[in-house]
Amino acid sequence: MKLSIPFIIETFKNAMGAVPVTLSLAVVPFLIGRVLAFLLALAQINKVRFFGRFASVYVSIIRGTPAVVLVLLLYNTLPGQLSAFFKAIGSDFNVYRQIPGIAYAYFIFTLTATAFLIEIFRSAIGSVDKGQLEAAYTIGLNPFQAYTRIILPQAITLAMPNLCNLLVVLVKNTSLAFMMTVKDLTQTAKLGAALNYRYAESYIVILIIYVIICLSIEGISKVIENKLAYKVR
Amino acid sequence: MSFHINMFLKSLLGILPYLKTTLLVAAASLLFSTIIGGIAAAGILGKNSIGRVVSKAYIALMRCVPPIVLLFVVYYGSPTLVLWLTGKDINNWDAIYFAIFSLSLLHGASMAELMRAAYQTVEKGQREAAVSIGLSPFQAFYRIVLPQAAVAALPILGNAVVSMLKDGALAYSIGVVDITGRASYIISLNLGGYVLETYLALALIYWILSVVTAKSFQVLGKKLRRG
Repeated sequence: MKLSIPFIIETFKNAMGAVPVTLSLAVVPFLIGRVLAFLLALAQINKVRFFGRFASVYVSIIRGTPAVVLVLLLYNTLPGQLSAFFKAIGSDFNVYRQIPGIAYAYFIFTLTATAFLIEIFRSAIGSVDKGQLEAAYTIGLNPFQAYTRIILPQAITLAMPNLCNLLVVLVKNTSLAFMMTVKDLTQTAKLGAALNYRYAESYIVILIIYVIICLSIEGISKVIENKLAYKVR
Repeated sequence: MSFHINMFLKSLLGILPYLKTTLLVAAASLLFSTIIGGIAAAGILGKNSIGRVVSKAYIALMRCVPPIVLLFVVYYGSPTLVLWLTGKDINNWDAIYFAIFSLSLLHGASMAELMRAAYQTVEKGQREAAVSIGLSPFQAFYRIVLPQAAVAALPILGNAVVSMLKDGALAYSIGVVDITGRASYIISLNLGGYVLETYLALALIYWILSVVTAKSFQVLGKKLRRG
């Protein structure tokens, strides 16, 4: 086996250019998903009529199907459906030309992130003592104040390890974006590998980059966790 | 675009026979990842510091690797490595072996974590009591600690099996014809038509599989705890 060092360096440089794309594919869905997920988690906990049920079924579906299958299903059918929709309302908007693959990637990853976030919020809010909410009500706070001032700060601290874990999972999930013609880390490796016929080196390089990204997230999260833990005490 | 229920049923029936490949990949990965995980867990719990460091590094590494990237590294890298080490050409081995190997490697880490956590839920006194009544350390582990640890681990094991099933879906990308591979094939047979129906059928199969798996592990865990 002969490793080509110049090729490895070249791939590394190319791949580093794709790191921002990979990160944004993880972080943006995380940020969008947390709002939706928080509301749905609340609906689930308080057994709100339609939304509570919807949240459980939604989580079950997204967590029960592989991410690839979700990508295959939605990426291959959504453009057609949207196109039909725009044609039906008489617009000449060209879906295939004007919506880039990355838009679908953001959409699909937001769907998955939301499902995972619902689970995290539900368990975190559930583990805040019930007496806290009752105490908040007795001193005259309204439900909104009680949640934002009393329950949320405690729940976030409890959820912190899981949230950081989720971010790592989401970063790993973005490796499927190459199926949607997004130029992320995996895509650059794939292109480099096919052009130079050096598959092993190419993928090992991005594997190392993924490991560095995830270890950094874990490192940063440890620092944040320690800070929060200190505050609570 | 409208939904053709008869095409949905047709693809469902077309995909189902390939469920056995999906299940085979998951079962083999479960077996081998249990072995790898057992070794890694023993490494962490053991007294040997090198074993501890190696096991911890392995687990940390696997937690950070996207399944598809590991699959590609194993699929493209291991034939070269094996050729270089042993002079044997494994390039034309069936893709399923590479899929099983990478899934086992990936999930060995989560199995190790699971086993370590389960082992630590069993009180230390249990083992000491077992040894004090004259059982050998192996007997104490096998007859006293393991049954209790296994019951504690069951619900988490259910989750691990579900994620093995789900990660197995990636194997189609290196050419394994499991249910995902079959679904893509059916679509190309239809010249790219009935995509929605076919992939919906595929998603439905996975969903049912996941729900049933997770539920049965929960039920089993509850039953064993009571008994």
